[in-house]
Amino acid sequence: MKIHEKMKVREVAGENIVLMQGPRGTDMSRVVALNSTALLLYQRLLGRDFEMDDAVRVLLDEYEVDEPAARKDVENWVAEMKKNGLIIE
Amino acid sequence: MTERLLSIGGLGMALSGGDTLRRAFMIEGMEVFLCQKPTPRDFEVRLDSAVGLPQFRQLYDFDFVDGLYRCRFGVDGEGVYYYDFGNAGWLRYDLREPDVVEISPVADLSVLRFVLWTAYAMAGLRRGAVPIHSSVVVCDGRAVMCLGESGTGKSTHTRLWCEHVEGSSLLNDDSPILRFGEDGIRVYGSPWSGKTPCFCTESYPVAGLLRLEQRPANSIRRLGVVEAFTALQPSCPPSMAREERLLDVLVAFISKIIEHVPVYRMGCLPDAGAARLSHDTIIG
Repeated sequence: MKIHEKMKVREVAGENIVLMQGPRGTDMSRVVALNSTALLLYQRLLGRDFEMDDAVRVLLDEYEVDEPAARKDVENWVAEMKKNGLIIE
Repeated sequence: MTERLLSIGGLGMALSGGDTLRRAFMIEGMEVFLCQKPTPRDFEVRLDSAVGLPQFRQLYDFDFVDGLYRCRFGVDGEGVYYYDFGNAGWLRYDLREPDVVEISPVADLSVLRFVLWTAYAMAGLRRGAVPIHSSVVVCDGRAVMCLGESGTGKSTHTRLWCEHVEGSSLLNDDSPILRFGEDGIRVYGSPWSGKTPCFCTESYPVAGLLRLEQRPANSIRRLGVVEAFTALQPSCPPSMAREERLLDVLVAFISKIIEHVPVYRMGCLPDAGAARLSHDTIIG
């Protein structure tokens, strides 16, 4: 899988946000704020193909956390990103 | 070719042209914004330009002047922006010449009014001045900008302030200019005031932004960063969200605003209690 190359993180008033433009013809857009874990995964994994294990390794390298907890965080992150079309296979 | 200098949103907007320039001053309220004293020109709007309308990649289209016309917005191969106002005219804006906006001849006054608004929006953005769809009330020398979709009751809410909150007055009822400038964040009256002619050249510091929704009871809450962003962004010129470079500048602008100005969301009835609640919360 990989992070969609169009995904762009912008800093707004101290938060790291992602804007997702709504469908053509509407003015709706979704805004998501990335927490520090989501931001780290984005920064380390953008621009390359990766597997779940690669993402888990990013968290294990950075944080004092055990493998099951890191895996759970990654699974949640991937699910959320896929739901928003930000991770593609 | 003649030239006239307007002061809008604290920026000197120089209009030049022939017939279309004359028509611009037939628009109600436009003359109010003519510079009374020497003012530096910040950008130029060249009306009756001979510039052509090439093919361009469409990014967005919408109706304007109450659905009478359809406008197409997009970019050409070099990244130059175009607005095609149907048979009524077009606008060209090139970021390589950021202080110039070119406009074809425009005969219809309603169209011209909208075209000039668009020209201001394009050139003003990178100078930190953005027209915001809102109704603005001023009290104790501070402004509150009421945001919300058309028909939600922004004008009703500001009218209720004027009726029930002493010392209140209307600054603009449709599209004031919000500006992040050397003297902080201020909101200015503009020639674009919708159905309520309120042509005011004054400006005031912004006490708060208030996004309104119709609800069966009055309640108000302060918003965090993400919600504040989503409260303000839909009230900014829609084409700015459709193209990457414009969006980058717009997001930086919104970021500055919400860092310094509180943003609230309010569910409300069209009654005096709503005006008093928002006044007491925002102005105090």
